[in-house]
Amino acid sequence: MTQPDPQSASPITTRQAMPEGRWIDVAGTRTRYFEAGTGEPVVFIYGGNFGMADGASSAYTWSLNLQPLAQAGYRAIAFDKLGQGETGNPVRDEDYTMQAVVDHAAAFLRALDLPPVHLVGHSRGGYAATRLTLQHQDAVRTLTIVNSGTLSPGVGTNEVVLCNPPHPRGSQEAVRWVYENYSHDASVVTDEWVEAVMRILALDKYRHSVQKMAVEGLAERVFLPELARQKGQTLHWLEEGRLQRPVQIVWGYNDRTAVLERGMELFRTVSRHQRDAQFHVINTSGHFPFREHPAQFNALLARFFALQRAQQR
Amino acid sequence: MTAPVLRSHVLSIAGLATRILLDRESDTATVFVHGGVPGLTPYSSGAHIWGAALGRFADDGAVLALDLPGFGGSEAPDAPYSIDVMIDHIDAVVRATGLRRCHLVAHDTGGLAALLLACRRPGYVAAVSVVSSVAAAPTGDGVENLALAYPPQPLGSRESQRWALERLSYSHHHIQDVLDDCVLAAQQTPQQAAAARMADPAARYAWNSSMARAKARLFELCRGPGVPVPVQVVWGTHDPAATIDQGLWLYRILAQQQPVAHFHLINRAGALPFREEPGAFHATIAAFSDAIR
Repeated sequence: MTQPDPQSASPITTRQAMPEGRWIDVAGTRTRYFEAGTGEPVVFIYGGNFGMADGASSAYTWSLNLQPLAQAGYRAIAFDKLGQGETGNPVRDEDYTMQAVVDHAAAFLRALDLPPVHLVGHSRGGYAATRLTLQHQDAVRTLTIVNSGTLSPGVGTNEVVLCNPPHPRGSQEAVRWVYENYSHDASVVTDEWVEAVMRILALDKYRHSVQKMAVEGLAERVFLPELARQKGQTLHWLEEGRLQRPVQIVWGYNDRTAVLERGMELFRTVSRHQRDAQFHVINTSGHFPFREHPAQFNALLARFFALQRAQQR
Repeated sequence: MTAPVLRSHVLSIAGLATRILLDRESDTATVFVHGGVPGLTPYSSGAHIWGAALGRFADDGAVLALDLPGFGGSEAPDAPYSIDVMIDHIDAVVRATGLRRCHLVAHDTGGLAALLLACRRPGYVAAVSVVSSVAAAPTGDGVENLALAYPPQPLGSRESQRWALERLSYSHHHIQDVLDDCVLAAQQTPQQAAAARMADPAARYAWNSSMARAKARLFELCRGPGVPVPVQVVWGTHDPAATIDQGLWLYRILAQQQPVAHFHLINRAGALPFREEPGAFHATIAAFSDAIR
């Protein structure tokens, strides 16, 4: 029986460096991605959306997870979503949508010519990963959903917990305040993390997306209504039992923006139809359990993936 | 079916026969503590109840499974049955086998005993995994649980064992594999003696009082210093003996003071998730163990 190297999940003592970035053309969009290791592919999809002024996720979000998964025997891949990180923006206004993000992610998997992947999605990325799985079951081997208020039924509390940061918009202080309020332990919001966000916020192409979403109003006119509409459909698909891949849901216990009850409700929905469904809660963790407790999170991934291999024997 | 790598040993501790299953000599091990109430629980619990799951853990490291006093091949002391008797027994087995570090994986009543043993800070408990432990969970003013209300007589018969295991499960498919072991355990002297002792209402009362005291002590400790080692709570989604809510409340109590605390749900499993979903059970426990190694 193949087991992941137990050392691979040992607590991280040295800072994990991001692997070197690469570029690939994905249906006309220049797309940034990072990969490490060889083996079954694990593809990470981070949260957030284009055009947010006080936070900007990028592939860096997974900096504590790529190398450990590579060391556990996987090809770990994180890419920048359409309009986020360093990847190009949507060309047309009507493509500032979640579906365009999902289509780009699916095209990215095809562009890399990957066999069915272990998909790991966090927050809005958990929604995108699930939608991608529902629309492209053949591209996905397993699905891991992490603290996704976007996907869960019920009321999200991001807009309450994170409303109007008490610092100038887009400033380093505002960014730090946002991620500290997402987290259980504010000290996990390192300078390096904040700098990674500031780097993206400063890109011309990112500022363009902020202009589109916030100033020209695409957030309220296009993105949010489309997301609300397709979320209804996505939840309906889950209730119908269309999610037909092994699934695990991982939740930070102390997340005030996507509270535990919402994860429980999501698990109830998916586990009704999918036998191979697990639910894991990690204590002293806010919205980013894979950054607050990377060793615990990485071990859950490696053991879940190894279980799928064992079951196929 | 018990994994073939595990061998049965009978130790003598304080003059009492004590049976364990062990796969190799080691000074670190995952130690499995079964559940049930001696002489009362209508399925025969014991080291055998972990079944094939033990073989999966043996691939990762040394494995030890024990029979608690009054179960399988372990004789009980003359003192009234209590959670404290269980705690002392686990402690004695770990010391007798020379383990310097162990991860306790404990089911039901064994879960309550394992948590309280960890709170004694014996120095060798590295972590505790509490599995489907309605014994350790708060009961609140819950409605009576009727899952095992009307067992077919005589207790200990094959029919009765099958009935009890089925009543506690999501699916009956795992039962055939363990039924012979359960029937055999029911015929052994320790369990026969336990059944005879528990026929006395005073013995049952003493047991129930010990449970209530032990729970209160655990909750008090969790409000104060907390359980001093990493803990995880593992629950089946369809446990006829305990609701998911009870498992989650046990987790909330443990998570108050212990920063490394996980809660897990195993889908389509009843009160014996390690039997019904051994793969998911092993992956869940092993991931926790990997991260704190």
